[in-house]
Order: sequence, then structure tokens, then C-alpha cells
Amino acid sequence: MNDPYRILGISPDATDEEVKKAYRRLAKKYHPDRYQNSPLADEASEKMKEINSAYDMILDMRSGNSSRRGGYNTYSGGSYSEAAGRYTDIRILINNGRYDEAEQRLSSIPPSQRSAEWYYLMSVICYHKGWLEEAYNYASAACRLAPDDVEYRSFFSRISKQRQGTHTSYQGSSSGCGCCEFLSCLLCSDCLCNSCCR
Amino acid sequence: MFGYLRPFKDELKVKDYQLYKSVYCGLCKSMKKEYGLLSTLMLSYDCTVLAMLCLSVNDEKYCVRKGRCTVNPLKKCSICKGEGWAFSFAGAVSVIMTRYKLNDTILDSGFLKKLAAFFLRLVFHGNYKRALKAYPEIDSLTAAMMESQAEAERNNAGIDRSADPTATLIKKLCGMISPGEAMRHQMEVFGYFVGRWIYLIDAADDVQKDMKHHNFNPFAAKYQGDIKATMGYCNEVLNMTASQMILSYELLELHSFKAILDNIVYDGLSYQQKKYTIDKYNEKNSDNKRGN
Repeated sequence: MNDPYRILGISPDATDEEVKKAYRRLAKKYHPDRYQNSPLADEASEKMKEINSAYDMILDMRSGNSSRRGGYNTYSGGSYSEAAGRYTDIRILINNGRYDEAEQRLSSIPPSQRSAEWYYLMSVICYHKGWLEEAYNYASAACRLAPDDVEYRSFFSRISKQRQGTHTSYQGSSSGCGCCEFLSCLLCSDCLCNSCCR
Repeated sequence: MFGYLRPFKDELKVKDYQLYKSVYCGLCKSMKKEYGLLSTLMLSYDCTVLAMLCLSVNDEKYCVRKGRCTVNPLKKCSICKGEGWAFSFAGAVSVIMTRYKLNDTILDSGFLKKLAAFFLRLVFHGNYKRALKAYPEIDSLTAAMMESQAEAERNNAGIDRSADPTATLIKKLCGMISPGEAMRHQMEVFGYFVGRWIYLIDAADDVQKDMKHHNFNPFAAKYQGDIKATMGYCNEVLNMTASQMILSYELLELHSFKAILDNIVYDGLSYQQKKYTIDKYNEKNSDNKRGN
């Protein structure tokens, strides 16, 4: 087992508060939600396990300070609710990582029979392959066909966020805080004033 | 297609910027040693990043020493020297990619450009042969990439399909420098999105020119002539690619140059995007441009 402090990127004499902070930061960074349907979902969940056990180990070593971690540890691999729809077998293929096969099966379904779920699954496959533009288009089609579906909508909103450039948001500092937006608004209006007055 | 992967200097510490420059100079020195002085013309920022990534993931030992610039001996600079094959690999990539780029220029450019490219190809022919001998796999990968690129363009392919050949090439190159099987998948996925981003920003950079000359460009179709809308669209596609690149980047195990690589991935990409998609047009189109 590696040094748990190294895994969390802190020194062994860090305070309990620092340990907690480092753990929170990393757990957010490698959270399965960020990597859902990503080609690196497995690697990310490995990393998450490593971080969790490092944190547990440090807490055990420091026992007496009785703060156990909570929150990020219970996660069940992002599997699909397999009951949904007529594409059960294709969802099983995707869950088992057999994306090529799933894509072939989906492509063989004639266009007239393609439902919202078809578009959603196609989107997931494209996303996994790195064909992000098609993933976006399929996901948006799925949402158009079934606007109330939570699964499709949450996937689509995640992709849309990536397109707006909020990809570093787990750090919190570099994007989209209200204060910055407010300032940039001021700046913009300032520019506008300038150009009017000239 | 070269030179989009760069750090955002303003956010970089001075010591890290100097380290970055020393890698650049180190690659230049290594190319001069292996291929001769003229070959240093083929040096690119992208290959500097490749050398740095290779040093970093493989935990390769390196030293930085003071020396003189290869091209201008009056100038002093610090030079990074690796103990392994990182620089030699990055140099070979530079040489081979340049060769194929020249081939491409000879195929579809105007007369003068064609002539210049033909001349340069002749000059660099010896370099190419040498790189080919040392790294035949890089050559075959690049050849395959050019072929599928040409096919995608013939078929007027969409964004994903036309970015795929470059993305796949960089993916394979990153696989080649991966430190071992455990890391290969992360490296390949990272490489795929790096390649995709490079292809797309190059396409975004060329979109106006391509529209004018009716050349193939994956971004041209969607908004026809509306350049502002097209640029917004380019930015969205690039953002999404960058965010996937970041996800894979965060799973890499880096041993050195972390501050520089972080800077490139978190700040450099978005800065370059802004430069080539937004700033470029704001500058050109504003009527009351202030002199600088």
C-alpha cells in the first residue's frame, strides 16, 4: 500500500482539517459523476477507491479524532436501470463495456423505429468514443423527443455545461462565481459606454 | 497545424517559464545534433509539449545547464537535456510530421507555395530518411492518418469524423510514450482529445480562409457565411473537447513539469481558443481600432 498522505497530496503533519480539505477536494475531482460514461470511468473509480482508502487509513491512524468520512463513498458504478424500455440488451452491452457491439445493434434499427431512448443510447456511445459533436446532437434529439425524461435531461445538461466552458468548475475558483460575472458585466457596460461616447 | 499547444505565459511562474524555454532549447539542440542545423527550422511548440509529457510520465531524469542558442550563438540560454529518448522521439515526430505537411502543401496549394514546399522537402529529405529509420512506426501512423484525413475530406465528413484521424494519431503517439500498460489507456484517451483539439482549433483558425476559397472545413457548413455564429459554435465544440481532455489529464501520473503542463491544460487551451476564435475577429472587424 502506498503512503496515504502522498495519495492525498499532503504532509504527514497536516492538521485534521487539512486532511479533510484535501480529501474533499480530491473526492470532488474524481467523483464518478464527472466521469459518468467517460472512457476513463473505470480508472476514475479506481482512483476514487484509492483516495477513500487512503483517507480511511489516515483516520484510523489518528483514531481518537472520531470524524469518519461520509458522502462520497457509496457509489454503485453508474449502471443503468435495466428495466427501462425495449433496449435492455443494448444497455447491458454498454454496461459491460461492449460499445462497438452496442453501436452496431443500434445502427441496424431502421430510422422509423428510433425512439428517444435510441438517441440517448447512441449519444452515450458517441460520448464514450470521443465523438462529442454527435453525442451532443443525439442527446439533444433525445430530449426533444422525451422532454420529461430525467435520465436524458441530466446527461444533456452535463454535456451542455461542458460546451459552455465550465470544465474546471470543480476547482470553484476559476469560473462562474457571481462576483466575477458581476465585474465582467460592469466591464462590458463600461466598454459599451466608451464606444457610445467616442 | 503546429503551435497551438502553448502555456499561457501570464499565469506561469518565471522559473517554470524558464524551464519550459529550456525544454524548447533542449529539443532544438537535440534536433541539431541528430539531424543538423537546418532541421531546427522544423521545431514546434507542440513537440516541445510532447517531449515534456514524455519526460514527465516516464519520470525520466533530466538536467538543465547553461549554454548558447543553437541558431544565434551570441545568445545565452538554458538547455534541458534528458537521459532517455524523450527528445529524440519528439524530434522525430517533428521531422516526420513536417514531411507529411509538405507533401500535403505540394498536393493542394498555389504554384509558388508548391514550389517552396517542393524545395523544402528536398532539403529535409535526408532528415526524413533518418527519422524514418529510427522510428518507422511514427511514419506509418502518420501516413495512415493522412490517408483517412483525405478520405474524410473527400466525403465532406462532419466534425467528429474529420477530427478523428489527427486525434487517433496523437492517441497512438501518446500510447507509445506511455510508461507502461497500467497507464496506457489514460495516455491514449488524453492523446485522443489533444489531437482532436489541435485539429479543431486549426480548422477554426482557417475557417474564414477556407470559406473564401471553397476549401473543405468541418465548421463551414453549419452557419454558412456567418462568421460570428461560426466562431461561437467552434468555441463550444472546442470547450467540450477541452473538458474531456482535462478529465483524462487528471488521471495521468505526472512526475515533473507539472506546473507547466497544468498551465497548458487549464489556462493555455482556453487562451489559445480565445485568441484564434474571438480576438482574431474582434480586432479585424472593429472599425475604430486603437493603435498599439
